[in-house]
Amino acid sequence: MANLNHTLPTAGRINIDLIAIGIGLTLAALIRFNILPSISF
Amino acid sequence: MSAHTIPSPIEATTLSPARRLLGVLPGMALLFGIGLLGKLLEQAQTLLHTRYPKVAVPHIEYVLWAIVLGLLISNTVGVASIFRPGVATYELWLKLGIVLVGAKFLLQDVLHIGGLSLGLVAVELILSISVMTLLGRLFKLPPKLTSLLAIGSSICGVTAIMAAQGAIEPEEEDTSTAIAAILTLGAIALFTFPAIGHLLHMSQQGYGMWAGLAVDNTAESLVTGALYGEEAGRWTVLAKTARSSFIGFVVLAYAVYWSSRGLAPDVPHKGLFLWNKFPKFILGFLAISILATAGFFTHGQLTSLSNLSRWAFLPAFAGVGLRTNLRALIGQGWRPLVVGILGEIFIALITLALVYWSFNHGVSR
Repeated sequence: MANLNHTLPTAGRINIDLIAIGIGLTLAALIRFNILPSISF
Repeated sequence: MSAHTIPSPIEATTLSPARRLLGVLPGMALLFGIGLLGKLLEQAQTLLHTRYPKVAVPHIEYVLWAIVLGLLISNTVGVASIFRPGVATYELWLKLGIVLVGAKFLLQDVLHIGGLSLGLVAVELILSISVMTLLGRLFKLPPKLTSLLAIGSSICGVTAIMAAQGAIEPEEEDTSTAIAAILTLGAIALFTFPAIGHLLHMSQQGYGMWAGLAVDNTAESLVTGALYGEEAGRWTVLAKTARSSFIGFVVLAYAVYWSSRGLAPDVPHKGLFLWNKFPKFILGFLAISILATAGFFTHGQLTSLSNLSRWAFLPAFAGVGLRTNLRALIGQGWRPLVVGILGEIFIALITLALVYWSFNHGVSR
């Protein structure tokens, strides 16, 4: 069986999407209110 | 289950949340470790070039290092089972990176280029589905495998195939073969697209749009874009998200088709079906873009958000290499691969022509 599991069939995908949005917006808020310092790469 | 199958951390539903979190830590550490090593190797090259300018040292971006290191591990020693749940989180990092990169796009850019992308995607969808269906019949592939290949190559690779799996109920073998073909083609694109882009002296925007329109799987598409340059990578995100937004419509069309033939379950609530299949992370990308456009962030904060997105992409790129087992992919049979390769060459050419056409007619920025 090939790479069947790396993306989840149904609910998992939605959860991962929502988790990504949640983390993204939280990080954006932390940066906006200067709780997180300036991030360099 | 082959060596390159990486189970999801969410699969282990019987474990407590704390144990599941502990279970993903080794793999996450491996993802970040490979990504950081790639970054260090890129910096070492730069340092070497600065100190010894006469020595010809090829500049290899951290993106390529991360993929190559991941490929080396997965195709030699393999990914040990302790790392697999954490390596599967690469999808989360990929989507987080896409959400955060919304900070680099003003809403007017998203509407203008996203609108252009939607137009190009519509043309690409119709042509690629038609060609894949034709090739599938020509090579006498099972009809549902042909449907899966058409769905995977026209929209967004593995995610679309998985979304279609529940809707059209193909043989499990068909699903794994279609996924293997799409992943193999993605791996080929990683190394061929940047070379073609350089050969044609493509602009960052043009190349980025092309990679987003032509490379199927989201992860491979983004890496293919990023390998050409950071700006190209951002345009790839925009084109790819526009393409991904079609997933529900195409899967629904196939579900209705197979249901009408009595070979798949009926779809009673089509609106709900579309919403369930819609990739929600696109909403996060749009939300950050709207906030950026509204002046919610200062210039420095936007730079920080953009850098955070690059940090999120780092483990995702490593994950692309780690979950690719070339031997297992090639061992899936030649006919689906030939159909995939022929179809993908056609899609690559047609999307390249579409991008050139749109640029020559002044519809791009």
